[in-house]
Amino acid sequence: MIRFDANYFDGKTSISRTVIFTLYGKKAEIRGVDTGFVFTVPLVDCEISPAIGNTPRLIRLPGGAMCEAVDLDAVAALEELKGEQKILRLVHFIEGRWKAALVSIAGIIIFAWFFVVFGIPAIAEKAAFAVSADILNEVSNQTLEVLENRFLKPSELDQSRIDKLRRDFEEVLADVCRDEQCRVEFRKSPVVGPNAFALPSGLIIVTDELVEASENERELIGILLHEAAHIKERHGLRGIIQNTGVFIMVSVFVGDVASITSIAASLPTLLAQAGYSREFEREADEYAVRYFHQKGWDTESYREILVRITEKMTRYPGDSLLSSHPITEERVEDILKLEEALAGG
Amino acid sequence: MSREEPGFQDDKCSICGSEIDAHGSEERLCRKCEREVTGEANPDQDESVAGPYIADTRTYDIRFTGSAGEFFRIWIVNTFLTIITLGIYAAWAKVRNRQYFYRNTLLDGHVFDYTANPVAILKGNLIVGGGAVIYAMTEVFNPLYSAMVVLVFSLFIPFLVYKSLRFMSRNSVYRNVSFGFRGSLSDSYVTYLLYPFLIPFTLGLIMPYWAYAKKKYFFGNMQFGTTENKFRGKPGSFYAKYAQVSVFTVSVLILIGVVTFAGKSAISELFTGYTGVQNGMVLLFMFMFYMALFMFVTLIQQYIYAWMTNYCFIQSSLGSLSFQSTLKGKSLMWIRVTNVAAILFSLGLLIPWAQIRRTRYILENLKVVTDGNLDEFQAASRPEEGALGEASTDFFDLEIGL
Ligand SMILES: [Zn+2]
Repeated sequence: MIRFDANYFDGKTSISRTVIFTLYGKKAEIRGVDTGFVFTVPLVDCEISPAIGNTPRLIRLPGGAMCEAVDLDAVAALEELKGEQKILRLVHFIEGRWKAALVSIAGIIIFAWFFVVFGIPAIAEKAAFAVSADILNEVSNQTLEVLENRFLKPSELDQSRIDKLRRDFEEVLADVCRDEQCRVEFRKSPVVGPNAFALPSGLIIVTDELVEASENERELIGILLHEAAHIKERHGLRGIIQNTGVFIMVSVFVGDVASITSIAASLPTLLAQAGYSREFEREADEYAVRYFHQKGWDTESYREILVRITEKMTRYPGDSLLSSHPITEERVEDILKLEEALAGG
Repeated sequence: MSREEPGFQDDKCSICGSEIDAHGSEERLCRKCEREVTGEANPDQDESVAGPYIADTRTYDIRFTGSAGEFFRIWIVNTFLTIITLGIYAAWAKVRNRQYFYRNTLLDGHVFDYTANPVAILKGNLIVGGGAVIYAMTEVFNPLYSAMVVLVFSLFIPFLVYKSLRFMSRNSVYRNVSFGFRGSLSDSYVTYLLYPFLIPFTLGLIMPYWAYAKKKYFFGNMQFGTTENKFRGKPGSFYAKYAQVSVFTVSVLILIGVVTFAGKSAISELFTGYTGVQNGMVLLFMFMFYMALFMFVTLIQQYIYAWMTNYCFIQSSLGSLSFQSTLKGKSLMWIRVTNVAAILFSLGLLIPWAQIRRTRYILENLKVVTDGNLDEFQAASRPEEGALGEASTDFFDLEIGL
């Protein structure tokens, strides 16, 4: 027989009465200790609030009254008999165990890692390729406007040189950008320095400083291919979506966006975002190297200009060639490795 | 048995064995012994806080029995379940986390309870999540649209605050009597849309009044059962406190600025020629500067929070009940600074510990004073409230209520 002491509240006033709760078969008897009132209710109609920690249990009776009990074992037995709330009872059981806490930590890390490394990029890829060309153009035009106002000036290269470069570049682009409308523009930008960057619409901006830093045209073609790969793979858009995804995930995990705990969350967010951008750069480099291989060129010129512009870099906005890039040495090593693999295979 | 059983022992103090007086005696100790154990002064005779001595006045401490280790397990298990269910379980996790805090809060030996239905919160989460996705998408495609989304959302904030306060209070229960919120939607629009809109036009001079209005909207509209809370707070007090804090803040910021400038030039002077040492010293100095600034900003925030909470409780009366709140800005600042450090160095694992610690400090500084007793409240009957408001404000972390 289950019997325990409880505090009884009738639900109409805040008066507390001491009662004894006794279970007879399928009926519960509530008997006042000093007041002498007594009544029975069917157990099925009693609603036992889910257990949490070692806190008192609350049993809601039909008609709006409530019993508050601290005899946790007795109420657990009552709950067992009633047989409801199986999932929350299991959750409560798990919450009481340190081993489960450790498993949860491991589970969270594994799941978060899996989601960040595979889940978010997959979703972002799907989403980025679902975006229509109109929207890409609109986004790009807005970005371009900002860049033009703040960082870019008209090119000061000789018109003849620009024409020559444009012709050669467009030949390469016609080769690689079959579904995209890739085109090249030249701009002077002391702020950006020797660099090139791609807008999602297909526009590639090459700075005068980059042209001046190059020693031959093949170097520039390497950079051009790298940027074309960003456009073809929609890296810019995917990057934004992935970063937003990480931000949302971290916010959900931490529980709120604007509190101190978001400071703690910003480090893993930054790490994940740096990882994504590194992956895109590797992909873009790989694309350039494969093109070089097809043409039977070696990658020396491409590697050399990467090293040279890293040395000359000042500052760079937005999705530029080297912003948040992995250390150039590592990229050069990866390029060499890939080149060897392609040559071997 | 894991917990002391309130209310079922004979009416004798377990230390001195003296009779315990009739009501409010669910603790096993008589009031004299309890005071000795907790090291408190006799609040009944502390006239500066409790007002003139009244023979029948009783002071009830609020006890918080939550433990960091226990809550850590609940928190981490529920976070895990939330993640593997792709956020669906978040509603249940939220209810459990909150129930842990409510049911570990004891007044006169009885616990508070949080009765929100997780399914209602799930619906709210889905709607809010949909809004967040729309916002994120417009952010990607056209920042102009996302500005519009923010604008539209700000038109909704007063509605969400209103809904959320109703939902939260309706689902807060003590002794099987629900709290309630009777503030009107139009007052919410005045408080949360009109006043903030006026800030630039009044050169910020409306800020203290706005702070007052938010507190009045909350404390002035709360009720327990049918008993309405009376809020006697005055805008003048807010203006006085804000003026005092502003003067203090400005002078300290000037001081910090001067010390930094002087320090930096002194370092340059002292270590001229030793560039490495000089740069190192400047870095160290800048680090100390930012630490000092962070501590100071935290101190100001926590000081205002402490003052406001104390003031609003002291200026409230709920039927025969009045309140004492004795938070100290310095203690809250210390808790906040060490919490931030602990959370950073534990990579977030000490979040539950930090929450428990801060909640304990705040609740254990709150006391309920009455010349009647806690049995006299009548329950009210009210309609159900959806969870949309509560989930939204939770998601966007609106600073509402306490
Ligand atoms: Zn790149």
